[in-house]
Amino acid sequence: MHPLSIGKEGEEVVVRCLDCHCDDVCRLNELGCVEGARGRIISNQKSVILQVGEARLAIASTLAKTILVSPQ
Amino acid sequence: MNKEPLSIALVGNPNTGKSTIFNALTGLRQKIANYPGITVERKVGTTIIGGVLHKVIDLPGAYSLNYKKLDERIAYETLIGSYEHEEVPDLVLVVVDSSNLDRNLYLASQVMDLGIPVMLVLNMTDVAEGKGIKINPDLISSSLGIPVVAISAKNKTEIEKLKGEISNFDLSKPEALKWNPDDSLKEAMDLLINDWIKLHTDIPDRAQAIEALRLISEGDFKDAFYTFEDEGKGRATIRKAQQIIEQGGGNPMAAEVLLRYNFIGESTSEAATHSAQSEVSITDRIDAFVTHKVAGPVIFTLVLLFMFQAIFSWATPFMDMIDLLFVEGGNWVANTLPDGMLNDLLVDGVIAGLGGVVIFLPQILFLFFFIYILEGTGYMARAAFVMDGFMTKVGLHGRSVVPLMSGFACAIPGIMATRTIENWRDRIITIMVLPFMACSARLPVYALMIAAFIPSTTVLGIFTLQGITFFGLYIFGIVMAVFAAVVMKRIFPTGQQTPFIMELPAYKMPKWSVVFQNTAERGKVFITEAGKIIVAISIVLWFLASFPKTEMPQVVQSESTEYDSSFDITENPESYQLRHSFAGRFGKMIEPVIEPLGFDWKIGIGLITSFAAREVMVGTLNTIYSIEEEDGESSTLKEKLINDVNPETGKPVYSIATAISLMIFFALAMQCMSTIAIVKRETNSWKWPTAMFVYMTALAYISSFIAFQIGSNL
Ligand SMILES: Nc1nc2c(ncn2[C@@H]2O[C@H](COP(=O)(O)OP(=O)(O)OP(=O)(O)O)[C@@H](O)[C@H]2O)c(=O)[nH]1
Ligand SMILES: [Mg+2]
Repeated sequence: MHPLSIGKEGEEVVVRCLDCHCDDVCRLNELGCVEGARGRIISNQKSVILQVGEARLAIASTLAKTILVSPQ
Repeated sequence: MNKEPLSIALVGNPNTGKSTIFNALTGLRQKIANYPGITVERKVGTTIIGGVLHKVIDLPGAYSLNYKKLDERIAYETLIGSYEHEEVPDLVLVVVDSSNLDRNLYLASQVMDLGIPVMLVLNMTDVAEGKGIKINPDLISSSLGIPVVAISAKNKTEIEKLKGEISNFDLSKPEALKWNPDDSLKEAMDLLINDWIKLHTDIPDRAQAIEALRLISEGDFKDAFYTFEDEGKGRATIRKAQQIIEQGGGNPMAAEVLLRYNFIGESTSEAATHSAQSEVSITDRIDAFVTHKVAGPVIFTLVLLFMFQAIFSWATPFMDMIDLLFVEGGNWVANTLPDGMLNDLLVDGVIAGLGGVVIFLPQILFLFFFIYILEGTGYMARAAFVMDGFMTKVGLHGRSVVPLMSGFACAIPGIMATRTIENWRDRIITIMVLPFMACSARLPVYALMIAAFIPSTTVLGIFTLQGITFFGLYIFGIVMAVFAAVVMKRIFPTGQQTPFIMELPAYKMPKWSVVFQNTAERGKVFITEAGKIIVAISIVLWFLASFPKTEMPQVVQSESTEYDSSFDITENPESYQLRHSFAGRFGKMIEPVIEPLGFDWKIGIGLITSFAAREVMVGTLNTIYSIEEEDGESSTLKEKLINDVNPETGKPVYSIATAISLMIFFALAMQCMSTIAIVKRETNSWKWPTAMFVYMTALAYISSFIAFQIGSNL
């Protein structure tokens, strides 16, 4: 398991744990980024673009650090 | 058949096509664009289905009913009948993006818990097909227990299909909590509802379950729009409810979400099938480039540069044409109508005032055209993303980018668009600096001053000095906005930061009919709105500038110097008359205040009228100069300004320093009543608009003063 912020471009990941402020957890959840969701890292240049299902989410670097993922 | 008139609400995730459907149903023209968060207020229209007139309500997009932002809250309040005492809608159409079904159904499952008849509209079936997603609406309908209709809102016949479904729907209510909360979650909800919500709040019955779930997952009742009492007991009950879930082995923050997604997954697993994913899509390729950490901001700047250069140079031939049209039209009216008051009023007042402003129509059209294209493609969400780092540093937020960009068109929609910013501090700073963005109403003043006083030398082969000055003014506005934000960041206490999260929509070709229609619409609004004020002000101004009638002394006698020290033999009678009119006297009175900025009294009159709306300035100048002009000649305002000579000093009234000082004043001063009014409405207090007016106008005065003093001493 590692923070999303250090994931590599093109990596296929599973979201494991959202360790951020509760408001941000809610936001991520309703955008489809829930624990167990599968995704692909489109780009990672401090801020991350994560494809979860059909949704493409742009995530600030501070938040990406608190999202723990593991390789699929 | 539904024979009764219904009120039908459109809800759904942002950017799923609600407004597109609304427009198709009602024939109205709500703004549509490929960016999540375009609609920020409730809009009502009507549609006729089977001879019955129904009310249709378009709502801002929301990802869930756990609102965090003002726009989401409006959607939720409307659904539960708490929005300004409006009735609960009779039917809710949940519009979902078929190409992203599971995520979109999260909101749908929440809406189903409200006990209102719901119909699911699977929109964008064309996009889903393109992605190789096959959907079986009947299967979804039977597993969710609500009617489902699959359409593509772009297609007219499919809108008819939607109408048919609405007309045939028996308005049965969906089964609440169909997603099956587990025992501990149910127990926690019941506890919260019975021990606190029912006793101590005025939340309508239908929303109690949803509110209980929101409180359990968030652990607090912040942002509550309802009234409640006994906060201490509330907190304690929430805590107890959370403990019940924890004891059952669950996580209160995630319990609802996971169960809902499970339910959704089961409902769609058979009903939606994906064919093999295509590897790297075109969206991926573009995104790799435009969201690149270095290239991204550079591309954004180039896009802006291109846009402003284009507005300035491409519009010029059209502007010259309009200018000529008004000058010729004025001459024609002047020569056709009999001499007299009416002739003067029409030619010098109305035609001159209107012509001064209509000339800028081409630039306004180009500006909106570009903005609509950018919004239609999906690029704006990327711009917000790449600029987030910088924006956060200066006290703003990535989500401020789009409101600020709309500020180039007009501050009012920009300020409304800040409703999509979650954090109050980020939002208020964005509102407070937004009027620095060079809005289209400043364009006439900039364009006039530049055309008249900045040489049209070519620079670097493709750019002109005029174009660069023009771009410089836009940059100046941006720099001042950033500067003000940095200062405000220090003044306002930092609360909890809201990190940037945004869904990036897939790129789309802008819908050209929409782009052209909207651009034309904006042009029409510009002409009619500005036109109304300008005609009114022109008439009043013409009167004030034409009366009282004063005869110029015929013979210059030695006494005349005593009688009027400013009397000048070379002055024409019209100019003399103007200086002694009501407007002239008033202008002279205020002249000492603005003289240090390099402005004479005519500019002063223009400044005062421009506090109604900035573009009025140009109309005012045109009216004043036309009155002053000797009968029988007619030249463009630009020529009049260049040739204007101060009768006292014999020097030209306008120098480059004056022009620059004037442009700076317009760039910085808060000269727009409508903006003040909207800031009052959006912040719910007079404090912010007052502060805005004072700091911006003071800054404008000081900056113009410095610019003119330096400029005229060089
Ligand atoms: N391909 C395709 N595009 C669509 C369809 N319906 C809407 N669009 C496009 O999707 C984008 C979003 O449409 P809007 O109607 O503004 O969406 P909205 O749900 O009102 O968005 P918000 O107001 O931001 O919540 C626009 O670019 C539309 O042209 C459709 O059926 N197919
Ligand atoms: Mg909309």
